[in-house]
Amino acid sequence: MNQLNLDPITTEIIQSSLQAACDEMFVAMRKTAMSSIIYEVLDFGTAVTDSNGNIAASGAGIPAFIAMCDKAVQAVIKKYDSADIKDGDVFATNDPYNGGVTHLNDVIVVMPVFSQGERIAWTANIAHWPDLGGMAPGGISADAKEIFQEGLQLPVIQMINQGKPIQSVIDIITANSRVPQYTLGDMWAAIASIRVGEKRIKDIANKYGKDVFKESVQLFMNYGERASLDALSKLPHGTFHGEDLLDDGRKIQVEVTINDKEFIVDLRNNPEQDAGPNNASYDGTVVSAQMAFKGITSSDFVCNAGTFRPLKVICDEGSMFNPIRPAAQGIYYETDIRSYDLIWKTISHLNPDKSAAGSFASICGTFMGGQHPDTGATFIIIEPQVGGWGASSISDGCNANFSAFHGDTFNTPAEISEARHGVYVDQMRLTDEDGGEGKFRGGKGIVMDYRIRSSNAWVSVAYTRSKSLPWSLEGGNEGGSNYIEHIKKDGTINKYSVVTGLSLEPEDIIRIHTANGGGYGKPEERDKNLIEDDILNEYITPQQAKKYYNYGK
Amino acid sequence: MLRVATDVGGTFTDLVYFEIDQSTGKALKIKTAKSDTTPSSYEKGVFDTVNKAEVDISKSIFFAHGTTVVINSITERKGVLTGLITTKGFRDSIEIARGDRPDFFNLRYQKPKPFVARYLRAEVSGRIDFLGKELYPLDLSNLDSILDDFKKHEVKSIAVCLIHSYANFSHEEKVVNHIKNYWPEIDVVASHQITREWREYERTNTTSLCAYIKPIARNYLDKLNKKLIESNFKGNPYVMQSNGGIDTFESTKNIPLTMIESGPTSGVLGAAELGKLINENNIITLDVGGTTAKCSLIENGNVKINTNYWIEKNRLSAGYPVMLPVVDIVEIGNGGGSIAWVDDYNKLHVGPQSAGADPGPVSYGKGGKSITTTDANLITNRINQKFFCGGTIEADMKSVNKNIESLSKKLKFSDEETARGIIRIANNNMINALKLVSVNKGYDPREFTLVAFGGGGGMHATSLAKELNIPKVIIPVNSSVFSAWGMLMSDLRRDYILTKLTTMNKEAKDVLNKTFAEMEIKASNSFKKENISKDLITFKRYGSFRYLGQDHSVEIPIENIDFDESSIEKIVHDFHNQYEKEFTYRLDSQVDMIQFHLVAFAKIDKPDLQERKKTNITLDKTIKEKRKVDFDQMGIHESCIYDFDLLEPDMEFNGPAIVEDSSTTVVIFPDQKCKVDNYANLHISIFGQNK
Repeated sequence: MNQLNLDPITTEIIQSSLQAACDEMFVAMRKTAMSSIIYEVLDFGTAVTDSNGNIAASGAGIPAFIAMCDKAVQAVIKKYDSADIKDGDVFATNDPYNGGVTHLNDVIVVMPVFSQGERIAWTANIAHWPDLGGMAPGGISADAKEIFQEGLQLPVIQMINQGKPIQSVIDIITANSRVPQYTLGDMWAAIASIRVGEKRIKDIANKYGKDVFKESVQLFMNYGERASLDALSKLPHGTFHGEDLLDDGRKIQVEVTINDKEFIVDLRNNPEQDAGPNNASYDGTVVSAQMAFKGITSSDFVCNAGTFRPLKVICDEGSMFNPIRPAAQGIYYETDIRSYDLIWKTISHLNPDKSAAGSFASICGTFMGGQHPDTGATFIIIEPQVGGWGASSISDGCNANFSAFHGDTFNTPAEISEARHGVYVDQMRLTDEDGGEGKFRGGKGIVMDYRIRSSNAWVSVAYTRSKSLPWSLEGGNEGGSNYIEHIKKDGTINKYSVVTGLSLEPEDIIRIHTANGGGYGKPEERDKNLIEDDILNEYITPQQAKKYYNYGK
Repeated sequence: MLRVATDVGGTFTDLVYFEIDQSTGKALKIKTAKSDTTPSSYEKGVFDTVNKAEVDISKSIFFAHGTTVVINSITERKGVLTGLITTKGFRDSIEIARGDRPDFFNLRYQKPKPFVARYLRAEVSGRIDFLGKELYPLDLSNLDSILDDFKKHEVKSIAVCLIHSYANFSHEEKVVNHIKNYWPEIDVVASHQITREWREYERTNTTSLCAYIKPIARNYLDKLNKKLIESNFKGNPYVMQSNGGIDTFESTKNIPLTMIESGPTSGVLGAAELGKLINENNIITLDVGGTTAKCSLIENGNVKINTNYWIEKNRLSAGYPVMLPVVDIVEIGNGGGSIAWVDDYNKLHVGPQSAGADPGPVSYGKGGKSITTTDANLITNRINQKFFCGGTIEADMKSVNKNIESLSKKLKFSDEETARGIIRIANNNMINALKLVSVNKGYDPREFTLVAFGGGGGMHATSLAKELNIPKVIIPVNSSVFSAWGMLMSDLRRDYILTKLTTMNKEAKDVLNKTFAEMEIKASNSFKKENISKDLITFKRYGSFRYLGQDHSVEIPIENIDFDESSIEKIVHDFHNQYEKEFTYRLDSQVDMIQFHLVAFAKIDKPDLQERKKTNITLDKTIKEKRKVDFDQMGIHESCIYDFDLLEPDMEFNGPAIVEDSSTTVVIFPDQKCKVDNYANLHISIFGQNK
């Protein structure tokens, strides 16, 4: 390999082409997907890895999906003999205990890329498929006790053999989905996406030579590692302890150790694995740590396997952050965002230019379904919600944005929701609730109403940060709370943060409330002009101005 | 008789005019002029160029105008105080936006600020559903007090956007009428006047932006029109639109936001018109300016447009949507002024930062210290060091050589290697952009011709074409004012787009027939109001289709016929094919039509272009000099430097060569051939053989 006369410009061009290939795969998936969770919410990611499954580049709508696909590729390599992995094959896994990382709804499909008979790379796609069976429509149930209740498991299987679909596998997937036409559409979209990437990578390797390609990829990872090490050398060194509470009152805690070479996230001594689905696999917990690590080290830099070489994550087996099979993991994302938020709370002060108070910090995953009143077709709404972000030393927090787990994610327009799902969206506005007051106040959460039109409709949610609220900084107030209200036709109101399969009647309203972010600094230090501006714009009521800022009468 | 086009750019205002032979209708001469843009009152800069070119406006029968007045008012936040009226429950739609955070790891991310502050956003009750049915009647009882409040706050313009108004705009219309009665002098825009597409945030933001700039754009067009009348102009003045057509001042004043991409689109349109003239129907356009490169694709002579257009959107910000038909252009931060830099890990990058006009590239000698693509092109001798900017500036090579050293040192390169590296990386950036409009959408570049223009188009086009396997590059004559030229060749164009979910089954034929007929009547009426003759009007129909459940749709052309069952089947068949071409698979699934799109053209008289006269000058007389030019991997070669202004039809020569005039440099590689066509455009065969 040292014989290669690699010119740095060629290397640079190959490396930027990797990113371009991932972006192209991303666009292809977005355009062809059937489910709004993919094409609006962008709950999917794409990646190119080296021949051993180390991530080289990725395209993602969700930061949490940046470093996920590599684990699936590694699982394929581990399971199959190299000789049995051929040009044109496609493999899939959704098993969180085996390369699947998240929950059964997230299916990762991967395919090898060959050049002159040698496997030089993989392309991969992870996406939230709408339904793969399980005890509840959409697969995710707060009542699940074992993974068997959460849907069909695809334990690192082959789907396509040298370009030819394995029909019996596709039949099994079809038979296990409540909305097979959507599931198959999304499956083909995923396959189209990795094929686009495969073609691009082949083109690059053919043009520059496969050895030049392979070496450029390795150099790219070294480049990522150097940036991380550089950032570590500039951070304060030592061991930092942090704690937080879950909504049920249990404590979670972390110790983060930073030195020149390592960034160790020690999540031992945390609650045992949940009897329900509030568990995240070890790989999932690693992804949370990767996000926090990336945020504090090199947020605006390339991101590949090299970037994460200094990161170590330690968890006890059998804990909520590293459960033992067959623990359910449907709501892994709320567990992941808890560990992510905990790590951030612990380290954000190490870089005062980047820190902010806590945000609404829940995916606020909302699942609704029923029969479309106009077409009779089964519909499933799967969507995260936007909420308030934390204030910082320089400004108020951002209103109504998706959580740190989501990034380039888009909410579903009311006009599209009404047409597609046969519900009415009566309002979608910023909340008037309390929370997050301070010298700078937390960003505002939202209030959104779904009015039900069909009979046999249902709703499931599992929100966190409902009782344990977004943390504040420097004497600001804590943020608000995430929850839903079920407003029945007769006017009775029930409040939930976790509920599964709640039956709904026509004209019932599901009102979603998301939290304001945490405040920064004491409310009495808030600038009078800002308070007046807030009153004029009705970001706060005159009563709130009096109560929290002692302004007016 | 004259035909005049003016294009107001960021730095310069360009003018192109044809002198027309009254008896034959042929263009006798084409002339160009440039003067400084005058941001405080753009119309002054326009008339500065008119005077500089000594154009007698009273002899002009046609005046087309491209302007940045709209985009500048927006980017500089110089619009008017705007109020917004929405459906009850949705005044925050414009602020909640879509909730996306492109800057993934930034805990302090701030959304782009809405163009209407919350205290100026009011709600009215009443509801239409997605089928256009009224659920609750409109309640206007609070509208007067809303308007009083707006008056109190000195609102100057009002936007109205109600839920599902794309399906039924009667409520919006009532609100507008009420406002006009109560407050006749206020400017008001309703969303249905701009677009009939769904997605309330995008529509609300578009309507608000339109209201925000409407008084300013209207005043500007009025002032310009007044100056034209004072100069005894007797024809109709037109404005370049974002959809790649021109339109009248009167029509534009209603929805002036359609001027938002007035400048860049005219170049694409020019390429399409040039293509018609010289029989090139499949074109990829490349416009390389000082700070950006823009590309677009023309298929079968048709400019592609889409309505998913965003401003100020980038990797760090969500930006603002503009739901208007805009020519599908991919723009990247890579132009002649793009800065080359080496990061902490000794990797070389080019752009997106630009040296701008001031200080500009190092070679301008205005104190710039950052090496740019232009400087690299000077080092490789591709740009003539002695004829820099047409000889108006002496290239400051001493500073260039001094400043490139620090880059070379970090890279452990010679200065020449660094310069080549900069050009290769700049080229690669442009290749990725060109791929976005071509291969990424299922088009094979081998079936296209690259038409390159703008100051830097000719410098890079031949290497890009080679990388992408594009067989031929055309560099138009007068390529630095090509955009203004495009306007002279334009027809009136109005786009009508309507979201209407229609399943493509047997009943679809009636829906299609009825809907297109209604749209055509609407279009005809709008032309009729402006006394545009019916004989001049033609229509093109398009439909957007998707598989049931998908969001993204594929637009395909539809015939202008009375639809029956078999023609509906043919449309579905065409959709399957187009879909598979773009996305590698097809589904055996229900096909829905989402959007009806009618393009109405009114033909404008255009001159026949005069061919360049032959003077029997020999090829060697067109050679200015010979110099050593660095062709990167193909080596350094002694090359002939041809004078673009002297080249004549049928001349042919081989690379290595450079063709230059005062504002353009064309690089022709050693294995490439160049031929001059009848209009003096250059046709460069990338792989040697002339077609």
